[in-house]
Amino acid sequence: MEVDSTPMTPTEYMEEDRSPVPDSTAMDVSEVDQNDDDDLSSVAALIDQLKHDDVQFRVNACKKLTVIAAALGPERARDELIPFLDDSIDDEDEVLLALAEELPNLSSYLGGSEYLPRLLVPLESLAAIEDATVRDKAVSSLRQIATQMEDSQRNNDFAPLVKRLAQGEWFTSRASAAGLFAVCYSAFDAQKQEEWRNMFAQLVHDETPMVRRSTTKALETLSSVVSEEHLETFVLSLFNELASDDQDSVRLLTIEILIAIANRFDAQKNRDTLLEPLKSLARDKAWRVRYMVASKFVEVCDAIGEDTVRAELVSTFVDLLKDSEGEVRTAAAGEVPGFAKFADKQTILESFLPCIRELVEDGNQHVRAALALHISGLSPILGKEDTIEHLLPLFLQLLKDEFPDVRLNVIANLEQINKVIGIDLLSQSLLPAITELAEDRQWRVRLAIIEYIPLLASPLGVEFFDEKLLNLCMSWLGDAVYSIREAATINLKKLTEVFGAEWAKDTVITQIIKMADNENYLYRMTTIFTLTTMTDALSPSIIKDYVLPTVISLSEDPIPNIRFNVAKALETLTPSLKQDANTADLIESTVVPSLQKLTNDKDGDVRFFASRALLDGEFTGRAL
Amino acid sequence: MGSSDLDRQIEQLRQCEIITENEVKTLCQKAREILAEESNVQKIDAPVTICGDIHGQFYDLKELFKVGGECPDTNYLFMGDFVDRGFYSVETFLLLLALKVRYPDRITLIRGNHESRQITQVYGFYDECLRKYGSVNVWRYCCEVFDHLALSAIIDNKIFCVHGGLSPSINTIDQIRSIDRKLEVPHDGAMCDLLWSDPDDIEGWGLSPRGAGYLFGGDVVQSFLHNNDLNLIARAHQLVMEGYKLLFNDTIVTVWSAPNYCYRCGNVAAILELNDNLESNYKIFDAAVGVETRGAGLRKRAPDYFL
Repeated sequence: MEVDSTPMTPTEYMEEDRSPVPDSTAMDVSEVDQNDDDDLSSVAALIDQLKHDDVQFRVNACKKLTVIAAALGPERARDELIPFLDDSIDDEDEVLLALAEELPNLSSYLGGSEYLPRLLVPLESLAAIEDATVRDKAVSSLRQIATQMEDSQRNNDFAPLVKRLAQGEWFTSRASAAGLFAVCYSAFDAQKQEEWRNMFAQLVHDETPMVRRSTTKALETLSSVVSEEHLETFVLSLFNELASDDQDSVRLLTIEILIAIANRFDAQKNRDTLLEPLKSLARDKAWRVRYMVASKFVEVCDAIGEDTVRAELVSTFVDLLKDSEGEVRTAAAGEVPGFAKFADKQTILESFLPCIRELVEDGNQHVRAALALHISGLSPILGKEDTIEHLLPLFLQLLKDEFPDVRLNVIANLEQINKVIGIDLLSQSLLPAITELAEDRQWRVRLAIIEYIPLLASPLGVEFFDEKLLNLCMSWLGDAVYSIREAATINLKKLTEVFGAEWAKDTVITQIIKMADNENYLYRMTTIFTLTTMTDALSPSIIKDYVLPTVISLSEDPIPNIRFNVAKALETLTPSLKQDANTADLIESTVVPSLQKLTNDKDGDVRFFASRALLDGEFTGRAL
Repeated sequence: MGSSDLDRQIEQLRQCEIITENEVKTLCQKAREILAEESNVQKIDAPVTICGDIHGQFYDLKELFKVGGECPDTNYLFMGDFVDRGFYSVETFLLLLALKVRYPDRITLIRGNHESRQITQVYGFYDECLRKYGSVNVWRYCCEVFDHLALSAIIDNKIFCVHGGLSPSINTIDQIRSIDRKLEVPHDGAMCDLLWSDPDDIEGWGLSPRGAGYLFGGDVVQSFLHNNDLNLIARAHQLVMEGYKLLFNDTIVTVWSAPNYCYRCGNVAAILELNDNLESNYKIFDAAVGVETRGAGLRKRAPDYFL
């Protein structure tokens, strides 16, 4: 059911040439500066575009404000451009966003830092706009300008602006005001600082949740600039109020403030003042709050201090692992290895493992996927024996999970367990799972397994490998998915590097050569790809006796794709042939004549790749 | 434009980076020259891999190549609807076009109903060109290429491939060969029908709910195959949740190559691989993981998760 029941509206051929098309190169600042004639006309065009009917043109022009300001000169930039911009804030949000972003860049075009306050005017209006994206950008631009200001400008121009916004009638300006308190706080005297703290505290009590939300975000930054004393008397008390706000969208932001405070307090103070609020956030009735706590749990613990965590927070974490919401369990599962460093082995075995066993069978696939990605992190902490006893069975279970992401995540992290228990043991216990996953329906799972195979080669030993895995490796060459066939050829090359060229000759090469006679061209193609890929790992005599004759035999293939891949293969083989005295002659006697024949092929691509091979193929010094 | 320059553009487009407006202009000019030489019913030799709608889902097209193999090693036939709806119509179409110019014998592109001035102005390609290039020139160059695309293809004289389906005004392949195709897709007539029609469980011909083209039944397919000594009709144009769907005793197949269409339909995609013995092998694939919606696609920042 295609949704395409397009109403056939009468054809409306556009008159595209109506408007001057902006030439992006003409807007480059350097070019404007150097080139007076172009300068005037392109700036005039830019100024026109500020008023253009099409939004896109106005956005582009806003992004070039500095070019306009440079051309106008400082005086006209101050007296004409800025007032004009201030008047244009009824525009589309897209234009306003560009404007809010560009305004601070005008600071060096106004004729001196004494004129910085002029930029505050349009930004103050932008900070009160409905659209949150524009407002955020305006606030960040205001902060940028404030850092460039003299103390007197901060007191006389910036501070009154913040005050006006903070007392604004509409919530948008109050929400913007919150983000402006931290930037100049340290530059003010004690009296002014107190005034600011009081003003900020009022925003914390604002009736609009949106304002309280941005105040909560701002409090985190503010907490890093206030004195030790005010951290305790001022920030902590505001945090406590916000942490019990009636809106969960406010409460969930407070965990960041908690981390910021904890990082500045010592361990004892953390325990006395922050432990209870943290526990209650972790038990919050809104899952989104618990989710925030769970996803930041290790960061919180690092800030709170090890002893308190060990003594007080293990059960909190276990509760999060057992939370009723899947999202919370997923987030907590991700924190398991990070949190484990706070717990001793006994705690892990007694408190965590039972929950983890439950999570392996969790009904939510995302929880299982997160767990699969992270539990290998427990392995170094548990050590070899406990990993084998407790984690390995869980791994094997996750490897059989019905959700492919879970299986992939386990395979991606096998290396970490490998380091702890050793590849010998791992490969033996994983072998049945691997053979099963090698035929997984999802090709990315098969790919992950193939990429893991070379690691298993040497610990398993050649005999065991030939018996258990070789057939699998060969069968991937006939996989329906191209990327799997490609990975299979690379795998064979890596195996040859481990087991040696003679092994390859006896087991692999003969089978590959047989595929050159297959009536499906895909197999013949794979023959060429595999032989070419393996070349570097093979000996000159094998190349001479097996590889080259097979490749050459395919140069008469009816399918052009095969023939131009013969040309490509010969190009790749040449450097190897050249290296050895026994094979160097073959270039002249066999390779070059075949390529020359292919340069007369009826297919254009065959001719192209054959000619390229002759040109690039290191035949220098020979007349061709 | 030398082949090395073109190879560089292909590399760039494979990274989902656009090429310059001037490069597009030259590319489209070259493409028109090549396409103008092609027949309305372009002849193709097996082996070839047949693909359906792509609709600007660039990262899923990359996934398609991972499953089917890269061009030129694998030969491809794309049955139209390269653009519109997805976030990367520009990159998708230009990549396919650059491959066409670089390897004209290895890849065949035929026209879909979305390869039209009128449709692309409604469904996104026009806006995307304007946004990514700041002007509509690129859109205009591409539309000129659309007018030159072949209307159908025939593989080893046995498999007929077209974007939509059959037309009541066409009984033989030769009749298609005589259409003057180098124009905007008309609102009715044979050319319109080939790009708009759908098979349906009816007898004979029926009115299409799309407002263009027709519905046609299994008997129509049977007699078209018989008249033209064909085995199969392959077409695209309709979303199929399973990626492909054979109808009417395996006489016609719909192939759909845009997984999770519009990033929300939840369907798998398929391509039809025909080997040198014309044996068919359908390959199913899923949407590329986690990449499609990032970057230039979304104009506005996503809202806060918790808002």
